[in-house]
Amino acid sequence: MSARISPLTDALDGYVVLETGDERGEFAGLLLAGLGAEVIRVEPPDGAPSRRLGPFAGDVPDPEQSLHFWRYNLNKKGLRLNLGNPEGHRVFARLAARADVILDSGEAGAVERRRALHRSGRDLNPRLIVCTITPFGMSGPWRDLKATDLTQLAMGGIMAVCGYDRGADGKYDTPPIAPAPWHSYHLGSEYAAVSITAALNFRELTGEGQEIDVSIHEAVNTCTEHAMPSYIYAGSVVRRQTARHAASSISPPWLRPSADGVYVNAILAPTEREFRAFVRLLDECDIAHDFNAEAFADASKRGRREAQNAIYAALDRLVASMPAEEVFRRSQALGLAWAPVRRPEENLGDPHFQRRGSFAAIGHPELGRELLYPASVATDGENPHFGYGRRAPHLGEHTDEVLARAGFSADEIATLHAADVV
Amino acid sequence: MAEKKQRWALEGTRVIDLTWLLAGPGGTRILATLGAEVIRVECRDARAVDFLRYTPPFPRKDPGAPVQDLGMLAGTPANGFNRSGNFNNINPGKFGITLNLNHPKGRDLLRRLVAKAHVLCENFSPERMDQWRVGYDALRRVNPALIYVQTTGMGKAGVYRDYAGYGPTAQALSGLTAMSGLPEPRQPAGWGYSYLDHSPGYYSSMMIIAALMRQRRTGQGCYIDLSQTEIGILLSGAATLKYQLDGQPTGRHGNRMPFAPWAPHGAFPCRGDDEWIAIAVQDDPQWAALAAEIGSWALDDRFAQASGRKANEEEIERRLAGWTAQHDSYDLTARLQARGVPAGPAQKSADRFTRDPQLKARDYFVTLPHSELGEWPLDGFPARMSASPACVGGRANRGAPILGEDNERIYRDILGIGASELRALMEEGAV
Repeated sequence: MSARISPLTDALDGYVVLETGDERGEFAGLLLAGLGAEVIRVEPPDGAPSRRLGPFAGDVPDPEQSLHFWRYNLNKKGLRLNLGNPEGHRVFARLAARADVILDSGEAGAVERRRALHRSGRDLNPRLIVCTITPFGMSGPWRDLKATDLTQLAMGGIMAVCGYDRGADGKYDTPPIAPAPWHSYHLGSEYAAVSITAALNFRELTGEGQEIDVSIHEAVNTCTEHAMPSYIYAGSVVRRQTARHAASSISPPWLRPSADGVYVNAILAPTEREFRAFVRLLDECDIAHDFNAEAFADASKRGRREAQNAIYAALDRLVASMPAEEVFRRSQALGLAWAPVRRPEENLGDPHFQRRGSFAAIGHPELGRELLYPASVATDGENPHFGYGRRAPHLGEHTDEVLARAGFSADEIATLHAADVV
Repeated sequence: MAEKKQRWALEGTRVIDLTWLLAGPGGTRILATLGAEVIRVECRDARAVDFLRYTPPFPRKDPGAPVQDLGMLAGTPANGFNRSGNFNNINPGKFGITLNLNHPKGRDLLRRLVAKAHVLCENFSPERMDQWRVGYDALRRVNPALIYVQTTGMGKAGVYRDYAGYGPTAQALSGLTAMSGLPEPRQPAGWGYSYLDHSPGYYSSMMIIAALMRQRRTGQGCYIDLSQTEIGILLSGAATLKYQLDGQPTGRHGNRMPFAPWAPHGAFPCRGDDEWIAIAVQDDPQWAALAAEIGSWALDDRFAQASGRKANEEEIERRLAGWTAQHDSYDLTARLQARGVPAGPAQKSADRFTRDPQLKARDYFVTLPHSELGEWPLDGFPARMSASPACVGGRANRGAPILGEDNERIYRDILGIGASELRALMEEGAV
């Protein structure tokens, strides 16, 4: 066979990305770096704003100890550059002349102020791709609204479909809940990474660069599954329910506690195959039930409330009869797509994810140890497609190296240091 | 004036799309939006047709018609295969053909199509394609440069290779469910939709495009075993790092901000039924601006600094909720934003579609024709590209294909199969 299989960790080899901006775009840079691009994280003299986000190693709020910054800047090179200084602009333009992509993020006003920088890069280098990630995009009446991850998840529609069931009186007694921080930035960055990769492909075909305007608000809006079509086609506004799809009518719960108190996501899909597997698991585990298993194999016969109650009571007893990880193994052995609600760290030692290279061991010489980072989402059968080997840079760690590779002489670099430009 | 010719980022790319539901088709939607020729390959057999094709929502006869029950049980082939709005939203811009992989001639047709394509995507259960003898190892003999993407809940390599998973399964296992909701002892709130059915599309499309560039450079193909659960792990932020350093289990924080001294930080009730405003105060000046708007209790010195607000977060939340409840969420957003306070309504689907001025101004929703349903608005693409604009209608310039809509053209143009041969293949059950 002629074709070799190998991971995509070299797919973007040779492409240089200059990344400015804040925490909104760092995940995009991380994804491009994992596919082989050289990503240069350009930080202001006092460091990227994301260095002030926790959690912090040792709970010390120090810009070099931000685990947030560590996590989102693997493999990147660190360049400290004062863009508030005209000489800083000239340095940036020289870097942009040999770069392939400028990735910028932040509030639209801040990004607008850097437009001159982007333009000078495009003037020198028409093949350059400039991608901006902003809360609402670079146009429109909400362009300059103040936004955080929380307000974006609210306005973009994810929050309204996430949270807890209504109380006994049919009214919500808890607010909509943003499902853990940073997902609006994940979404904006994912679309940015897709668009940048597509723009690189276009450039390979045509030689032309371009500008890409990513709106986090729109990215969040794409991601609420059937909520939007339910309204557009059927006029139905879906309402939130605990840990299951927001819906126009109340559906049976999916999470139920196991014997060790850990919740299990146990879904009974309306198929005969899954129902028979469920009944078999009840039998195997000696869980008594008082419904007519043969008649209910046909999902359309399970509609009545008493039938549902009997089925779900048995399901509750089944899950409560053993530890969550045992429910996982035994249900999956019968083809049921159930899983325990694990905390993220509980996957660190799981042989499945070890085999797949889901986590990358990254050396931290200052700590004298390695840390496992979530790293890849796919393999080529043997090796992970996203490759990470280097911890996030210290502020300015690669300044001299980056400048030297861009053709700055040792004297020039020394002068820039002396003037506090870099 | 002549219409400007559409220039596509993925010009000259052909994708054979065997995916179904959302986890697979989301990715091929993106490829079609960027200009790949995506050929959705489906089976006519009602038992094998994409469940979403016959699952609500369906268009109402008129806007006054009663709201439908969207329960899962409402999905039955008796609904027909071409009326689902959700399916239309997930599959625009694609061409549609039918092909039966249980028929030897159907498998032969697939091999012939793959020989003339760059990419194949599927999200069957992990072993299904191998059982049909059209898995990656078989197809790369037909097309050594093939990019083959398989999306599954757990991933095909590894000890859970035989395990089944939907989006919510992957959310539970990965840690994303556990991280979402109010602190223990409350149970997790999890996710109100399948986040991890959306996410594979972003990763499959980005990896496919990267692989296409490498394919052009080296002639080398690629096998991509994509795991929804791994994506969930990737999206868990710094939680696993923190645990490795301090051994403390990852907790939940509701809407509060555990990673910065931002307070108040949450969703607060507004006038009306289940209306809320999100408010995120990041620093002292933002609080001072909010306090000036509230007056009275908010001017208390105890709250002037972040440390004081964090220490009294519960009290602030309670009092703030009492204040916000008197106001309309959009009016209050305008007032707070005028003072530079990050705030916004928790918009429901109806708000986003009918009221959101930003989505309107940027033409987020795209209206496209569907051969049976007529014209409907679809979700747009959140990146504006200046030289090769993304276009949700794709090369097909329409919404989702009806079942087998492009059989004649695709089989003729790509495989040279004429009308009478196609008819025979259909009668045999191969197409």
